[in-house]
Amino acid sequence: MSALITLSVLAIVVLYLGLFKAKNALLPVTLVGLAVVLGLAVREWNSNAAPIYSSMMLFDNFAVAFTAICVFSTMLILLISKDYFERISEHVAEYYAIILFALTGILVMVSYHNLSMLFIGIEIMSVSLYILAGIRKKSYSSNEAALKYFLMGAFSTGFLLFGITLLYGATGSFDIAVIKNYVISNPTHISPLFYSGLLLLIVGLCFKVGVAPFHFWAPDVYEGSPSLISVFMMTVVKTAGFAAFLRIFLFCFAPLHDFWMMPLMVITILTLFIGNISALYQHSFKRMLAFSSVSHAGYMLFAIVALGSASINAVILYATAYSVASIIAFAVLILVKRQMGSDNYESFNGLGRKNPFMAFALTVAMLSLAGIPLTAGFIGKFMMFSSALSEYHVSLVVLAVINAVIGIFYYLRVVVSMYFKDSDQHVVQSTPIFSFVLAFSAIVTIVLGVYPGLISNLF
Amino acid sequence: MQPHKLQSLSTALMSISLFYLVAFLSIFFSLLVIFSKNPIHSVLYLIITFFTFTVHYILLNAQFLAIVNFIVYMGAIMVLFLFVLMLLNLDEDSEPMKSNILKMAGLVAGLCLLITLVGSMKSLHMSDPVILKNPDLGLVKNLGKVLFSEFLLPFEISSILLLTAMVGAVLLAKREPKTA
Repeated sequence: MSALITLSVLAIVVLYLGLFKAKNALLPVTLVGLAVVLGLAVREWNSNAAPIYSSMMLFDNFAVAFTAICVFSTMLILLISKDYFERISEHVAEYYAIILFALTGILVMVSYHNLSMLFIGIEIMSVSLYILAGIRKKSYSSNEAALKYFLMGAFSTGFLLFGITLLYGATGSFDIAVIKNYVISNPTHISPLFYSGLLLLIVGLCFKVGVAPFHFWAPDVYEGSPSLISVFMMTVVKTAGFAAFLRIFLFCFAPLHDFWMMPLMVITILTLFIGNISALYQHSFKRMLAFSSVSHAGYMLFAIVALGSASINAVILYATAYSVASIIAFAVLILVKRQMGSDNYESFNGLGRKNPFMAFALTVAMLSLAGIPLTAGFIGKFMMFSSALSEYHVSLVVLAVINAVIGIFYYLRVVVSMYFKDSDQHVVQSTPIFSFVLAFSAIVTIVLGVYPGLISNLF
Repeated sequence: MQPHKLQSLSTALMSISLFYLVAFLSIFFSLLVIFSKNPIHSVLYLIITFFTFTVHYILLNAQFLAIVNFIVYMGAIMVLFLFVLMLLNLDEDSEPMKSNILKMAGLVAGLCLLITLVGSMKSLHMSDPVILKNPDLGLVKNLGKVLFSEFLLPFEISSILLLTAMVGAVLLAKREPKTA
């Protein structure tokens, strides 16, 4: 709770800093504030949390872990935001404030104990993102992204809300503990309303995390938004979406496994194939990452299909690996695009010779996203697949492995153009902060790949 | 039969028939919203649909919701909507034509949803649609009590939602200086 309050106050402080034109203080204050939030959240670890405020919120270990990942990723993303927002407009403080508000919504999403809180959390996050997607007011694609995200998101919110309403109608409460009791105490007489509500809730949540067949907004929105916002949406927001997804399924719906497993399995397989095969045909690096984020959402769904005690660990590790690798990819993309003016694969030609460090970091990220051993991405995929195998979903794993192979092909394309193609363009410069983020993220990727026990045994 | 019982029975019958009339009107006008070709007619039908919802809230004795629905949705939002549509000058010609495949896909998806919902509603037993167990449930007093006790935290956190939307609206609508 203290983390949530600190974060909300921090966002308002940042707004005031903008009012008093303290531009240079914005980034340091935001980062220090986020570090405080991180500390306050981690302090709650193992504090045997009980639901607070008429059981609206439960800041348990699950919430602490996901809060930590989200706040940490946001800090890395904000580090590379230096000089980024200034190029868009003068109102930099508002951008930071809205990102912080989105993070507040995410904190609510990962720690809810009542479906009304889930809804408000998702709305705070989504409203912030609709705005952030459209901050390049002069850019046609940014406007399109914002409008598309807003229309689709509002529509999917309707499904989510209707699902929550039907669950309320069946159980008489928004409290997930009451819903859990309802499921456990009526194993044979669950109201049909409950099933419809559950299906609509799945539709709403799948929309928010962007899995097929509810993914149509994802590539356009991720491509059209400013890169920094895209990486925020792909990493932090997706992690939070899966945390919310996992929380309610693990807590309430686990006994109804037989009912919801089939639809989710179909969704997973569709997502993997659509995401990976579309990513193959992209010429723009950013759009390829957008489609690959769809396919990664499919891998993360494995944890929910094979729901068990290992699911939380698997999602945490996968989300961390994926977030860190995506942050590297986007940091390099921002630098390359700023200096080459394009985000096609050709812009990366010869990067291996001109800036070996940057090329190496990007290679590590790509290998991690593709799931090559000794990187965090491999461990993430391994945990996902082994949990699915332990539930005897052999065909699902076989299909996923085929997709992982397709993935290697398009991830390595950029590596090939960095090292084996030449160009006579000038050197891509990196700044110290970018170098720090790249180095740090690459180290995290490799350390987690070699020694996953650091975070894989939290639960 | 005692006279007051007879009287309450006749009020119940009357309010049931009122409920069915209003429910029929809601469905009828919401169908008109989606089937009318002219967007302005659509919006006008939508206003009538919202009005029937207001009547539903009054039948349920939820005065606060009824008034909010009447003022905010029917009054403010829909009138704003109507003005925007008039300014945009949309008519039948400018309506984009959707391909038949898209229409079929929409039809199939919508009907699947309808079947699911009807199927789940069908197996429910029907309760008396108008006799409320607690007739004071929707009064402002009770709503306020629930909002400020049990649902205090979501109520407070909604303020962040509103603040975000406000900051964002100003940010997006503000004119950028030419020098940027």
